Amino acid sequence: MSRILRIELRRSAAIGAVLILVLAGAVLLYAAPKRWAPGWMSLAMIQREYLVLLWPLALAAGAWQARREHRSNVAELFASTARPRAQRMVPALGAMGVAAACAYLAVAAVAAPWIIDTARYLPATAFVVVAVGALAMVAAAWLGLAVGRLLPSLITAPALAVAGIGLLMVIPAATRSREWLALVFSPMYGMGQYTDYQTVYGRVSAAQAVWLVALAAAAAVLLASGDWRTRVAALLPAVLGAGLAIMIIPRNDEFVSNPVDPVAQEQVCADGSPRVCVSRVHSGLLPEAAPLARQALEMLAKLPNPPTTVHEDTTTFYPDTSPPRQADVVLMSISVDKDGHLARKAEILPRMLFNAGADMSGCDDSWNLAVSRAAGYWLMGREPGPDYFQASPEENAEAAKLWQGLRSLPEQEAAARVGAVRRAALACEKLDGLLTASAR
Amino acid sequence: MMRTVSAAETAPTTHPWVVHTEGLRVRAGRHLAVDGLDLALGIGVHGLLGPNGAGKTTLMRALATVVKPAGGRLTLLGEQVDGRSDLRRVRRALGYLPQQFGFYPRFTVREFVEYMAWLKEMPKTAVPGAVQRAIDRVGLTAKANARMKTLSGGMLRRAGIAQAIVNDPEVLLLDEPTVGLDPEQRLDFREMLRDLSVDSCVLVSTHLVEDVVAACTDVVMINEGRLVYQGTPNDLTAQGGQGDAGDSPAERGYSALLRRHRAGAGR
Repeated sequence: MSRILRIELRRSAAIGAVLILVLAGAVLLYAAPKRWAPGWMSLAMIQREYLVLLWPLALAAGAWQARREHRSNVAELFASTARPRAQRMVPALGAMGVAAACAYLAVAAVAAPWIIDTARYLPATAFVVVAVGALAMVAAAWLGLAVGRLLPSLITAPALAVAGIGLLMVIPAATRSREWLALVFSPMYGMGQYTDYQTVYGRVSAAQAVWLVALAAAAAVLLASGDWRTRVAALLPAVLGAGLAIMIIPRNDEFVSNPVDPVAQEQVCADGSPRVCVSRVHSGLLPEAAPLARQALEMLAKLPNPPTTVHEDTTTFYPDTSPPRQADVVLMSISVDKDGHLARKAEILPRMLFNAGADMSGCDDSWNLAVSRAAGYWLMGREPGPDYFQASPEENAEAAKLWQGLRSLPEQEAAARVGAVRRAALACEKLDGLLTASAR
Repeated sequence: MMRTVSAAETAPTTHPWVVHTEGLRVRAGRHLAVDGLDLALGIGVHGLLGPNGAGKTTLMRALATVVKPAGGRLTLLGEQVDGRSDLRRVRRALGYLPQQFGFYPRFTVREFVEYMAWLKEMPKTAVPGAVQRAIDRVGLTAKANARMKTLSGGMLRRAGIAQAIVNDPEVLLLDEPTVGLDPEQRLDFREMLRDLSVDSCVLVSTHLVEDVVAACTDVVMINEGRLVYQGTPNDLTAQGGQGDAGDSPAERGYSALLRRHRAGAGR
């Protein structure tokens, strides 16, 4: 059997399928490395999203392989042999299954060196997400074999590829009000990352795995079937698997879209003082982030009651979460560039010193762009210019005027006024006029 | 050459004939191509002769258990072949070269013969040696690692024979095995048939009367799905007279038998 499997691996469509799948996967991933450069979980999830192409390709590869039986006219000869049809299909199932799974893992392996220096946090969940992806590929290859055997035509493979893409596109639309259904039946759905802390719940992966195993089993039964009765019986594992998967997956109230991994969000701190911490998922970037953070703390040290610690701002919008507000903590926003390193370094300092280092994201509309920016630029010791906040020329002129005003004051008075901005910002009070009025 | 002999091989047989048909009827599509055939074949090489459309290929397919008989009885190695029986044991002892030999073009000769050995459920340990012997026996040793798609017509036919004999079948069915073979290869093939005739039942369907005379121990002739004649090659030769069509005594014997059968049917 193992010798026959080896022959099948060498002589079937397996090797060609691996080459095409790995090439397609690598092109897709490297076309936009920024999407997955933040970490291992990002890579695992984004690769799953690219099943939109890899899954239909695996379907087509299976269908292509299945045509060999028909094209080579071996039915007559094989019908005279002792081995039952079901056993005869095992090497082909094995070869195509191994090919599809290995191709998927190879795509991940091709991407891994890109982030191996910067990605630190490798949760077990990432392996689960990859494994479910590989399982989806196996199910697709087997389904392709089964369909290709029933419809042994030259156009089956390309038609199946197109139909596969169509199916993956239609599933979310068809299950619009029941998003969790799309999660069960589409191996790519919900894998886009809104934040670097995003994860896939274990129960979701379990439900997907159950469904995919059932689908693969149904395909294998269909392939091995000799008559219409067994073909109908192939529906049984599919129906059972679908039912079981729907029972397992969190649905209705339990369902969370784009869930966040709290462990990925935990702050991990750099050695030395002052204390600088970033989220665990970004911990590989600490050596790059810490000097910037300490520079900000040093600038803020001019103020009365200055902050002493920097944490990463782990705010997420879908779902809406934010870190606790702490007076002695300055928040730092971290985004990861396509090379896995810290992105937009020049923006980091202005963003940290905005509002004189106070977080106002929870305050309604008490902030004032000109005051906030002028305070920040005074701390940095440079004139307000183009930055993250994209102020209009008028708004920038207003900030520049306030900044000039601060510069003309004695150092102590200016620091007192900026300190007042910080105090008000921490209390969510109005900032208007705080830089022009005497602090005493 | 030595090989292990299993207990099953040395056990006494309980069936008088290796192949036995009684009133066998087999359809080819909607047409009854084999229609009431009575045939009994034992150990030896049997040449199956008959004009085109006589039902030779349909008979071969029925004996290969590829098509189910439409009526009558078919017994192979003592087991009755009908829709209900488990054919696995019989099939393990079968070798079959169909008229249209299908193969996987990307496999090498060795791989394809090995694959067929696996399909015939040969014991795992016996396979590599048996594959090599079968390939050597048909003279494809030098081509063992060539892809099937690169073989010439004659080589393909020999590869087809190699897969048919790999399991040392008790029943070997060869449908037009000499098509595409050059004269030298046909001589080798006859030699091989003589070797095989020692312990198996070989049925060779062919148009070439001289192949039958040269290599077969027994001649079976059918026409319109029925048995016309069964006897020795010498007896076949004796049937013909000077007035019968043909370039050799055997061909004249064949023509004479066919003419007489047609005349009898027309009466």
